[in-house]
Order: sequence, then structure tokens, then C-alpha cells
Amino acid sequence: MPEKTLSRAAILMVLLVIAVIGSWELYLRHTKIPLDYDDGKELWSDKRARVYDSPDMTTVFIGSSRIKFDLDIDTWQKITGREAVQLSIVGSNPMPILQDLGNDPNFRGKLVVDVTEPLFFANDSAEPQKPDQYIAYYKHRTPAQKASFAINHVLESQFLFLDQDAFSLNAELDKWKLPNRKGVFVFPDFPDDFGRTTFERQSYMTARFVADTSLQHQVQNVWLFVINMARHAPHSKEDDLDPVPIVLRSVENAVNKIRARGGEVVFTRTPSSGPFFMGEQHAFPRAKMWDPLLATTHSTGFYFADNPATAHFTCPEWSHLSQPDAILYTKALISELPPSFTTSK
Amino acid sequence: MVFNSYTFIVFFAIVLILHNLPISWKAKKINLLLASYIFYAAWNPPFILLLWLSTVVDYFVGKALYAQTNKHKKRLLLVVSLIGNLGMLCFFKYGGFLLENFVHLVNALGIHYQPAKPNIILPAGISFYTFTTLCYTIDMYKKESAPVRSLLDFSLFVTFFPHLVAGPIVRPPQLVPQFETPRKASRRQLMEGLFLLSTGLFMKVVLADGMLSASADAVFNSKDVLPGLDAWAGSLAFAGQIFFDFAGYSTCAIGVALCLGFILPQNFRFPYAATSFSDFWRRWHITLSSWLRDYLYIPLGGNRRGRFRTYINLMITMLLGGLWHGANWTFVAWGGLHGLYLWIEKFLQDRKEKASVMPTVAAALPAYGTAPSAKTIVLPISIFNTRWKGLPYALFIFLLVNITWVFFRSGTFAQAGSILGSMFGFSHGGQPLLKTLAMVKVGVVVLLLLITQWLLRNTKLTDVAYRLPWWVTGLIWSSMVILLILSQESSGSFIYFQF
Repeated sequence: MPEKTLSRAAILMVLLVIAVIGSWELYLRHTKIPLDYDDGKELWSDKRARVYDSPDMTTVFIGSSRIKFDLDIDTWQKITGREAVQLSIVGSNPMPILQDLGNDPNFRGKLVVDVTEPLFFANDSAEPQKPDQYIAYYKHRTPAQKASFAINHVLESQFLFLDQDAFSLNAELDKWKLPNRKGVFVFPDFPDDFGRTTFERQSYMTARFVADTSLQHQVQNVWLFVINMARHAPHSKEDDLDPVPIVLRSVENAVNKIRARGGEVVFTRTPSSGPFFMGEQHAFPRAKMWDPLLATTHSTGFYFADNPATAHFTCPEWSHLSQPDAILYTKALISELPPSFTTSK
Repeated sequence: MVFNSYTFIVFFAIVLILHNLPISWKAKKINLLLASYIFYAAWNPPFILLLWLSTVVDYFVGKALYAQTNKHKKRLLLVVSLIGNLGMLCFFKYGGFLLENFVHLVNALGIHYQPAKPNIILPAGISFYTFTTLCYTIDMYKKESAPVRSLLDFSLFVTFFPHLVAGPIVRPPQLVPQFETPRKASRRQLMEGLFLLSTGLFMKVVLADGMLSASADAVFNSKDVLPGLDAWAGSLAFAGQIFFDFAGYSTCAIGVALCLGFILPQNFRFPYAATSFSDFWRRWHITLSSWLRDYLYIPLGGNRRGRFRTYINLMITMLLGGLWHGANWTFVAWGGLHGLYLWIEKFLQDRKEKASVMPTVAAALPAYGTAPSAKTIVLPISIFNTRWKGLPYALFIFLLVNITWVFFRSGTFAQAGSILGSMFGFSHGGQPLLKTLAMVKVGVVVLLLLITQWLLRNTKLTDVAYRLPWWVTGLIWSSMVILLILSQESSGSFIYFQF
């Protein structure tokens, strides 16, 4: 009698796996949803390693989500001939990254720092540890992790279903909206169409999002939720301190270190609109935040409202530009930045 | 390198191809050794030097120990080896812990001393390969097995990548003879190995990382007082996570080795179906508990020096077993609690034996000091004569084991106290933390875990795979692989890597 093996079960397994995964992939392609890259620490670290590329050919961007949406990297690269290294992290304060670059003796590049006042000055961030976690991951990346990232890139570039935020098992389970107990903190969801990510870490809204006001309202409600959360946050002793002088000192320190090595730093304030912009102006007035920032660091800066080409922008969900507007904004940004940031040698 | 990564899939495919080339057995062994070094160096290349040092020193010391007839010289060689191995482990794993406790002590004595915080990186798997080499040295000292013939075989025994970083902890007689003659997996072994690899990855990626880790992390990282429901869900989630994570690793390791034609010892045997604590330790991390039994408990005297010493030896073994897991007093407490459970169990067993009212199966602690019995239950036979009757005992043991996991997972005693307080109603109020979906995941996975463990407690995974109709096995296998692909969990480290 022949020895029993699992060969037949293995063949069935292979056929079923190909059939199920293949059908899922075909279905997703049919929905025309664009390819998306996981915007996690692995992709961030891949870009972080590129800050050492030639300062004459590379401009580094740090900030929060706005500059990720508003800088159209294709447009930037076509016009300037320079690489744009996008290191901004969604929903976070860029200060840890600025300090990391300031403390990195090998960084001598051109750096654009985008300022979203609630995050930059008050650190009202949903995930304040994220930048530190990303930096730590970058510094301790193992050769195996680098190799896995390279292989993952090949697969992620081919298959739509490899989109962890939208189609992973847990993402699918999260779509079941089970009622929660009273008192459980539930952060509202962003629609999938709001933020797709390219391999260069540019975020963009899909055409469907730009056309669908209900999706835009969904995101506006998230911002209202965040604002409400900040208003009702428990008062701590730290809240009695004025954070601005501390932030300015810290920024000045990092900027001076970069400049001492031959690097250059400028600041931007990307557009917001509607109630969001009004709220920001009220809580973080320009005269108390932006102007002292430029004065303290002896820097030039581009505030979107100062340029007629960008002052009129309306963000679909009050805080980020649609891709067509991002192209226009990028062109204006290039015209406003010092030539050393925008010309290649 | 971790099993649940793309790098490993490519690496393993290359290793499999090389291992099946028509080349000499020695060349294949060199390939395996180089592959093992690459596997380790892919994590942190400089630490490969430690591995080499440990391998070379123990190979030559082992040989000398075996050949040495002078008792004093022999003892000296043993001490040198123990200092070398344990010293390295102490420095890397316990250096910071010892310094911290020393500082606490001198500060308590009124001496102000505040040294800089040491920045020591723990080399992956150091506890595992140290135990592997230690048992070789001790075996050579006792002449319990013959020295390994070549440095190549010894290096491969220590470094063989499936078991290198998180076990199973292998003994020389279990693995070294397998390197002496050419080995290649049969088709049956290859399929079985791939089945085990898929199962292990499913346990780790889908169940531990995908379904349970978020709830366990949320509860154990919370700084607030939690309602009882959340605390229970968090502790149950961790009980499931630690099992699926570690048993998943062992299952992968055994599967990977089998694909290459090597057999590694079983490390888990459905531990949450245990009906006593001694039974639990015969099912959980079997290769560690048997290592501790043979190289610590028995040398301490085991149960041969009277009842009182047996209790003491048992507790020492469990406390050190706890400390092996991590440089923190909470791990010691975890071991101590298990020791206490074993004490109580032994006490009850001794009383029962004295009374001799009912026949019992096995000595109270067959895992420690006496040979394991075929049946591993310590409670009266009559209770277990049907399939489900022992289940309440298993659930009771699981409940008590679950309490120990709170110490294991908590960073501090205050945190453990807070969670246990919530679990047992000593803390009131608290903001609900876990969403309904998270609770459902924990509930369903842990319930299925307990049912499966109970039903399969006297069998092996592969036996079940063979017993079922091939298409049922194929369906289960494909479901696991599909969920594995769809889960898309990033390649997180296995919990036991840090030990």
C-alpha cells in the first residue's frame, strides 16, 4: 500500500488559493480603485534613507498630511528636475523629524518644513509617538527588513488587494459596524477614497472623493470630531505653559545645526479653508505663530494666503487640496522658494 | 530574519533548492550552515561573532571535557564553559536589570549612586542557543553522549536556522545524529513540513497578530483603571496571543526542518487542554521544561531528598524558569505563581496518596524528577472516562494560567495589580476600552482555541491532517493560506525572540 501523503490536499490548497485570491484581485480591478501603497514606517524609512542624495538634486519635505496632499511630486520633479523626498507623517508634528535631521551630521540638504499650527505648536496629534517610532525603525532596520521591503514593493506595485488599510482581513472586518458599549472611544473613519498613497508618499483624493460631497462631509465631520476632542481634552499643568517659545527655541536649534553644515531650511504654510481655516486663525493667529517662527529662525517662508495664485484655494474637506489644485499649488510653491531649492545642477 | 516575512520565503526557496542539488552531503551541510549564518546575520550582522564564539569555545571545551580524566581539571573546564556561556547571557540579558537592582539597593542604603543607563542590545535567541550549547557541555562533562565528531556538525547543531532563535531547544542526541548521514525530505515529509509551516504562519500572523495582539496591547498599555470585561478580554487575548505566537513559531520551525528532512522535537502539545499544572508543563514549551528538569531540577536533587527539598527545588526551578523569560521581577513572579500552583497540586496529590482512597495516574510531578507517564492526568481516572468530563478541570487550569499571564505581560507590578483588580472586581468604574468587534474577535478565537485544544489533546496536528478526508484537509489548509495572504499583517517579531 503506498505511503499516505498530503499531496492531494496540497494540490487542492494551491488551486483554491489561486482561485480565491485571483477572483478577489479581479473584482478589485473591476472597481477601478487606484493602487495604494501602505504608508507605514517601512516606506517612510525608504525615503528617509534618501535625504543623503545630492543636495543639488534633492529637496526634503517634512510636515503633516497637508504637504503630502498639496505637493504634487510629478509636477515638482518635471519643473525643477529635482527629487522630492517626502518625509511628512499624517496627523503628526514634524518636530521630531526636524530634530532628527538637525542631529544627523550627514544631512546637509535643502529642507522644506510645512507648518500645520495645531500640530506644530500645540501637538494636538492623534498619534504623537508616530514620528519617533518611524525614526527608531529607520535607525534599527535590519538587512532582512530592507530585503522584505524590496520584495513587498514588487508585489504591492502589482496587486490591488495588497492594500492593508482598505482590503486586509482586519480592514474588511472593521467594515462591520457593530454597536459599541457606551463610553468606548471610537475615532470616526476616513473614507478609502480620501487618501490614496503613491510610492513617493504623495497622498491624493480620488476623483470620486472630489465629486462626492457626502464623502467630503464625512471627512469634515472627522475634523469637527478632532476639534471637539481637543476642546474637551483634560486640562494638564503643561497647558498653562505657553508652548510657542519652547517650540521656537527647539526649531531654531535644529535649523541652526542644519545651516551650520551647509544645509538650508524654509517654511511653508499650506492651504486650509472654511471653518477649519477660521478656527486655526482664531486659535493660532499668524502674528503669534508664523511670523515669530520666521523671525526667530531668520528664514523665508511661503504662506499660501500671500500669493494670489494660492490664496483662493478651497479644500474639498477644508484641510487638503484636490490633485488638480495640488498641481497649481506646487507650481506656485516652486516660484516662491529660493532658487537653491528648485534648480538642479 | 523571521519566518513571517517575504525575505524568508525567498531565502527558504533557495535553501530548499540547494539542499536538493546532486552534491555531496558535506557540501549540503556547509550550505545549511552558511544559510543559518545568513538567517541570523540578516537581523544584526555583528552578533554573528557571539554565535561563533559560543560555538567554537563549546566545541573544544566539550571535547576536552569528554577526554579529561583529571577530576579537578574537568571541573575547571566546566566552570570556564559555564562562566563563558552564562556570563554572556548575564551581560546581554540581565546586565541592565542587575545594575538597576543594584542602584535600588545602594540608594535604599542611603548611598546616592546614579550610573548612566546601559544601552545593551539583546542578541536575538541568545537564551535559546545558550541553553543548546550548555546542555552539550554538561552532557560532555557527565559523559552522557559522545562528542560531536566535527566542528561543522557541531556548528550546524548550534546554528541550524529553524531552531536557532526561538527553539525548540534541541539536545545533541536529538539532532547531531541526523547530520551524520545524508538526509533529504521524502515527499511525505515535504508536504507535511509545508503543512506545518502554513499552520504555524496562520497561528502567528492571522490569530496572534491579526486577531488578538491589538486587544492585548490596548489593555496592557492602558494607564487607566479598566472595567472587568475589558481586563478579562485583554488577559484572554494575551493568553491566546502568546500561545499562537510561540506555538506558531515552533510549528514553523518543525515544518521548515521537516522540509529539509530533519526532525525537531515537539514543543507544544495543546497546553490549554491540560488538566493539571504538571500536565500543563508537559504540554507548554516542552523542550524548555524538560531542559529545566534535566539540567536544573534533577541536579538540585529533584524529589530524591525528601518532601521539603522537593518543594524547594520545584520553586527554584520555576523562579529561574521565570527569570529565563525576561529580566524583570514580573517574570519571576510569573514563575513563582506557577511554582505555587505546583506546590498546591503536589500537596493535594501527596495527601491523596496517603489516603490511598482512589488510584491516581502518574506521580504528582512527572515533568520534574520522574518519568512522564503515558497518561498525564493526576486526577482520579474515573473522572476522565468520557470525552468531556475532564473539561471543567482543563478550564479551571486555563483560568489560573491566565492569571499568571497577567504578570508575564505587564511591565510592572502596579500594572499587573491594576488589571487583576479589574478582573476580580476590586477596582470599580473605569472607561470601557475595547470595541465590540475586538471583544468578538477575542471571544471567538479563544473559544475555538479551547475547544480545538480539548478535542485534539491526545493527538498531533499532522495525525489529524492524515485522518481527515484529503479534500477536508485541503479545504482547511487553503482557508488558512487564504486568510494568511489576506491578513497582510506586517512581519512583526515573535514574542519569544526577546527572551
